[in-house]
Amino acid sequence: MVHKFNRQFLFILEFIFFILIFTFTAQAQVSPKEMLEKADEARGSYEGVEVTVTMESNELGRKQYRVMKVSEKGYNCFLDTLAPSNVKGQRILMRDRNLWYANPGLSKPVPVSPRQKLIGVAVNGDIVSTNYTRDYKIVSTQDSILKGEDCTLMNLEAVDKRTTYDRIKYWISKDRLVGVKGEFYTVSGKMFKSATFEYNNKITVNGKPRDFISKAIITSAIIKDDFTIIDYSKPVQKIIPDALFNVNLLTK
Amino acid sequence: MACIVMALLFAIANSTDASESLQDGTNRNQHIIASNITQQEETSGYESSTLAEEISKELFSGKENTEIVMPENENKKSWHKLENYFSADLRILAYGVAQNPAESNRNPNNDFLEIPHYVTNTEIRPDFYFNSNYLDLSVKPRSTFQYNIWKEGMRDGDTDWNDDWYVNEWIARVKAWNKLFLSYGRENLQWGPSFLYSPSNPFFSDNGRSNNYMEVQGMDFARILFVPHLNWSISLIVNTDEGRNSLPNSEPFEKIYALKVDYTGINGYASLIYSRKDSSQSNKIGFFGGWTASDALLLYTESSVQNGSDAWYPVTDSSLFGASLQQVHQDDDDVTPTILVGGAYTFLNSGTLTLEYLYNGPGYDRDEANLSFSTLKRAADAYDSLMKSAESDSEKEELADSLQEYLSSQNTDPGLRFLRRNYAMLQYYQVNIRNRLAITLRWTQNIDDGSGQFFGLFSYQLGDHWDLFGSGIINAGNKNTEYGSILDYQGMLGLKLSL
Repeated sequence: MVHKFNRQFLFILEFIFFILIFTFTAQAQVSPKEMLEKADEARGSYEGVEVTVTMESNELGRKQYRVMKVSEKGYNCFLDTLAPSNVKGQRILMRDRNLWYANPGLSKPVPVSPRQKLIGVAVNGDIVSTNYTRDYKIVSTQDSILKGEDCTLMNLEAVDKRTTYDRIKYWISKDRLVGVKGEFYTVSGKMFKSATFEYNNKITVNGKPRDFISKAIITSAIIKDDFTIIDYSKPVQKIIPDALFNVNLLTK
Repeated sequence: MACIVMALLFAIANSTDASESLQDGTNRNQHIIASNITQQEETSGYESSTLAEEISKELFSGKENTEIVMPENENKKSWHKLENYFSADLRILAYGVAQNPAESNRNPNNDFLEIPHYVTNTEIRPDFYFNSNYLDLSVKPRSTFQYNIWKEGMRDGDTDWNDDWYVNEWIARVKAWNKLFLSYGRENLQWGPSFLYSPSNPFFSDNGRSNNYMEVQGMDFARILFVPHLNWSISLIVNTDEGRNSLPNSEPFEKIYALKVDYTGINGYASLIYSRKDSSQSNKIGFFGGWTASDALLLYTESSVQNGSDAWYPVTDSSLFGASLQQVHQDDDDVTPTILVGGAYTFLNSGTLTLEYLYNGPGYDRDEANLSFSTLKRAADAYDSLMKSAESDSEKEELADSLQEYLSSQNTDPGLRFLRRNYAMLQYYQVNIRNRLAITLRWTQNIDDGSGQFFGLFSYQLGDHWDLFGSGIINAGNKNTEYGSILDYQGMLGLKLSL
């Protein structure tokens, strides 16, 4: 009887050991590209997410804020400004790499570039373009520790000239598979701005809870006191109809 | 027991979120979802909240997180739900304009165009919206109060007060399967990437981009928009009435039918528009396309080809001054192209430089422009000599009236957005300068006659509700040029209140 129990106990131990080994091996086998994909997802690159974005910026001592509803689906993004009153109704639509801007005073949507400023230090591309996997290639990776967290530091280079930044240094948490810090560089090699990211939101994808971005703090590398804080709240994954991203329906 | 209570609360919270997701019109069969913000805040570990968070909480408090619905709150919740379908904006603009009419053959002594020297204007622009899953309604009534003061010509010293009440735009749009949209209403239906002019649009000659503070008057349209795929859409459009827009020289309105096909790719977009006028059966094919060449550079084109032209051209005849404007190319079989090409580059400081070139096929050639201006000169000379020969003010007024009566029976508007054929535009545009200021500086050059126009526009945010705005126009060119013949300069300064 004792002998039988020991055999069962050993079998269970072996099974647990096998599962643990498998899990660790699987995690260790996450490729840099997969890490980047997961990090993109956590910043909004799901197949259909709606989130409320509140931006607060300080530029040369002048403060400004925006509240926006952002709907994302793959490479497409629709941004509707809710406050303050004098910019309410301003909308930005991104269809792949094409961007349009509309506001209640403009009679038609205007094509704009991802580089055009949205508010403070943030440009359109910071909000609507979250897909680093498509837009950047991983040049090199190295281990790094950021605020006590094991990270993979990725050096990303733009795949072409259509991206918002030429080069990005991107720290991805090995454990959480989310991007925690980014440094953004211009063609000339100068650091243009840096950003830190927090993931205190949760989103349920296929029944599983996942970390979702809750805050990004973008700081100018040129004027140190200039910053923009982007808060993300109420993320909801949902099926978003294609028509939301149709420019014919952009103006109110 | 506690587990059961927790499970029930969770189920209620989820069903609430799910029903709200259904409300906002995206899809019935939602595969969902929901993150509960209350839970998030509890677990988020935020110790200090930013201004942005406070604003967000204040704006959205009580709107979406009604987890438990007690019977006494049901009506309130229903009202909240209904309230979410309605929205409204209000903008009030008060501005003053000072302008100096050019002393030219087109408008001698300002007695013909009677341009006031000072204008004060208050415009009340509320917009009301109802947005639900299947139906969108909007109405944009307008009230304007205008006071004019004349300082030139026969009306020197005159003042005039008028008010206008109208609905500039309204629309009823039915949505079916999130792919088909049927609408009818009065709209300012615009498209295309260009600033100067949108030749692909068969309905509006003014694309409304010259001054963002001025509204383009709406026309009546019935539309069917079909979105079969993310990259494609097809529109069938009928322009059923001129609405508040007027045609040149009091031409009768003609229905226009249009078919528009839009494609959006990864780095660019393109649209093709075929349109046909109902009674004259004239056809027009329009096209526009854009290419995102880099994160900073946009390249685009917009063009149209049409048989002949509905514009009015000077023709030598036996009328009083030897020529008059007539629609002589209306039935031409020749294809007349209008082509605009442009590019916009955004600098690292976020300022954008835009350059456009326009070939305006229906515009006047040199001979037509010379005939037009020489006829105007003859009319202006005749007017001057008559005025000089008049011995009293009353006689002057009588002579002016008789000549104006003659000229008003003539067609005076050529019906061309741009008079000549070759134009260039250079514009610098920057928003959010120090989080407050937006500026536009634009130079438009008529390459054919050498005249040009400088346009500057600024807006400065004074808090969350108030904007100070202003614009300035300086025209350069002699009397016999497009930009030199109407106004020397114009300045505008105003305040905008947004609620």
